Amino acid sequence: MIGLIARRELLEFIRDRRLFWAGGIILLLLAIALLVGWQQQRTLNAERAAAQQLDYDDWVSQAERHPHDAAHQGMHVFKPEAPLAVVDPGITPYVGSTQWLQAHRQADLKFVPAQDATGLQRFGNLSVAWVLQVLGPLLVIVLGFNAFAAEREQGTLRQLMSIGVTPQRLLLGKALALSVALALLLVPAAVVIAFVSLSGLEAGLQYDTLMRLLVLFAGYAIYLSIFIFLTLAVSGRTSTSRIALMALMAVWITGVILAPRAISDLADRWYPTPSRVEFNNSMDQELSKTYADAWQASFGVSTRWGADLPLNRWGEALQVDDQAGYLVADRHFAELWGAFDKQRQLQEWSGLVFPVLALRSFSMGIAGSDFSAHRDFSLAAEQQRRLMQDLISHDLIHHADVLDHQHFTYKADSTLWKQIPPFDYRLPTMEAVLPANIRSLGILSLALLVSFVLALASVPRRA
Amino acid sequence: MLETHDLCVEYDGAVALQSLNIRVDPGEIYCLLGANGAGKTTLINAFLGFVEPATGSVHVNGLDVSRYPLESKQGAAYIPEQVMLYSVLSGIENLDYFAALATGRRLPKARLMALLVQAGLSEEAASRRISTYSKGMRQKVGIAIALAKGAKALLLDEPTSGLDPSAANEFSLLLRQAASRGVAILTTTHDLFHAKQTGTRIGIMRKGHLLVEFDSVAVSHEELEAAYLEHMRVMQ
Ligand SMILES: Nc1ncnc2c1ncn2[C@@H]1O[C@H](COP(=O)(O)OP(=O)(O)OP(=O)(O)O)[C@@H](O)[C@H]1O
Ligand SMILES: [Mg+2]
Repeated sequence: MIGLIARRELLEFIRDRRLFWAGGIILLLLAIALLVGWQQQRTLNAERAAAQQLDYDDWVSQAERHPHDAAHQGMHVFKPEAPLAVVDPGITPYVGSTQWLQAHRQADLKFVPAQDATGLQRFGNLSVAWVLQVLGPLLVIVLGFNAFAAEREQGTLRQLMSIGVTPQRLLLGKALALSVALALLLVPAAVVIAFVSLSGLEAGLQYDTLMRLLVLFAGYAIYLSIFIFLTLAVSGRTSTSRIALMALMAVWITGVILAPRAISDLADRWYPTPSRVEFNNSMDQELSKTYADAWQASFGVSTRWGADLPLNRWGEALQVDDQAGYLVADRHFAELWGAFDKQRQLQEWSGLVFPVLALRSFSMGIAGSDFSAHRDFSLAAEQQRRLMQDLISHDLIHHADVLDHQHFTYKADSTLWKQIPPFDYRLPTMEAVLPANIRSLGILSLALLVSFVLALASVPRRA
Repeated sequence: MLETHDLCVEYDGAVALQSLNIRVDPGEIYCLLGANGAGKTTLINAFLGFVEPATGSVHVNGLDVSRYPLESKQGAAYIPEQVMLYSVLSGIENLDYFAALATGRRLPKARLMALLVQAGLSEEAASRRISTYSKGMRQKVGIAIALAKGAKALLLDEPTSGLDPSAANEFSLLLRQAASRGVAILTTTHDLFHAKQTGTRIGIMRKGHLLVEFDSVAVSHEELEAAYLEHMRVMQ
């Protein structure tokens, strides 16, 4: 019986050409978004891989020089773009993709106001994720707004009830019809998306990306199902199609367009993150105190890099100085990441009421384009920087400090340069990112349950 | 068979049916007369389970409607004044859909077409979309749905109002055919002549009460008209 109801409903979508027009527009936008994403990624990745190689070649082939000079010039590392940034670029457009690994200083982050940049900024970046998150619900609404309202208007609801069709079955039939209609449009689209994002990847990454895609699609399926039941609930409660459509448009504008913006502002207010200048100032303040203490303790002097310290201890001093700074920087960065994480959590929980927020977090998390992914890269880059600094300090202690006041005449050659390995960053695996995204998936599932119960409670019981 | 026992129905405290006892046996065509607001549609709604009895009970083919809402509907078919169908579907597609929902299985196309033809629709019309149908043609689809269900009871709410005389006659003929197969038919109407022509029994309602019942062979048209007017006059 449910199948019969769904079949008739689908026939209607096809006959009144709604599926054709609404679906066609969505598919067209998806195709454009995919093309744009793919093109960007292809050029970006090629450029970055080339730049990374070039930079390392420069490092290794640099002339003989004092190692600390070399460390000041440093090296650059480039963030490889996650394969699924094609689908969901996440915060990628708002954070830097290069980090400069130099002496003394941890690379700072390119700040963005919050995990998400919503509203206008997002409209500027047409992506597959955006189309599905924002226009997907609109497609559901266009297909389903009159599911019950039209039956009521046409009087067929009375006819159906007179032959003993229960409202629950009607609801399930209509939900099935909407799901099948969406599947007809989106499953082929998903296959194309998978094909595009998997092509050209090495085998290991291909498998990981495929797994991510499957999980990602599951998340989007849940999200759209929430809107199916929500649409049916509103349609069941309204007396005419017109009112149903207006009510649903209001739901869409508030829930999908306005709420994300408002919640992100709220998250920013509750868990404020410092500006770049504020962050650097507060870290520098603590650093200078920490440095002073460390110099006092190790060398009994209060000024860094002054005449008080004989040159035969400068290599050692570099080591002491760096080690003391690591802990302070780690704490400040951890605090910052913590605030971003709090913001993200707030947004995820708001997903219970505004599912788009949970989905967005989930989507960029699984796609590998969220803040955690950026943090993972930043930490790896800092790891590389520290490795470089520690090796150089060690080298200075053994080769420059022993030269006494001739310290600065020491020149290292490529044997030292080659001791610093190339930056070999691997994107985190699916298994590594999944735990952090289970919560948002759970919240989406919960929202689905709520919308289903709401729909059940809203089906018309009387004709 | 259609039957009520001391049926009372209220809408938010306003009484619509009062201690109503009516019984329509298989093979009978019961015509219900009464002014606007007398409670005719409410009675039909009670048989369909669309309204709950405040007190008393309603039975369709021996099944209590309140206790067996789905089962009781399986044995009954409902044809309102305007048969409500899906306008983007054809007549045969509508029949296919409603018959399958009612019986739980889909009928072959030839069988569906035969039912529509039996209900008086041409094959050409059956394949057209409902949006091109006249009121009478919609009603024929309604009849075909009832035939497909093999309903033992028919509930009709002003089925002939708005039909031209020949269409109304055709419709009466279909009802008599159904009655001759043992179907119990309850139909409301404002047309005394039609009631006398078609019905085997005639009841007059007023303000939720069933006032009198006539055997249509035993009563003349003039007597019926006089009784109807008398009861209407008493009301005012
Ligand atoms: N849904 C409703 N809510 C409240 N009152 C109702 C409702 N439906 C009918 N009534 C009232 O119940 C009474 C009986 O109405 P009903 O529709 O059964 O009359 P009827 O005999 O079918 O009239 P008509 O000849 O106009 O079709 C009327 O007083 C009407 O106002
Ligand atoms: Mg009526």
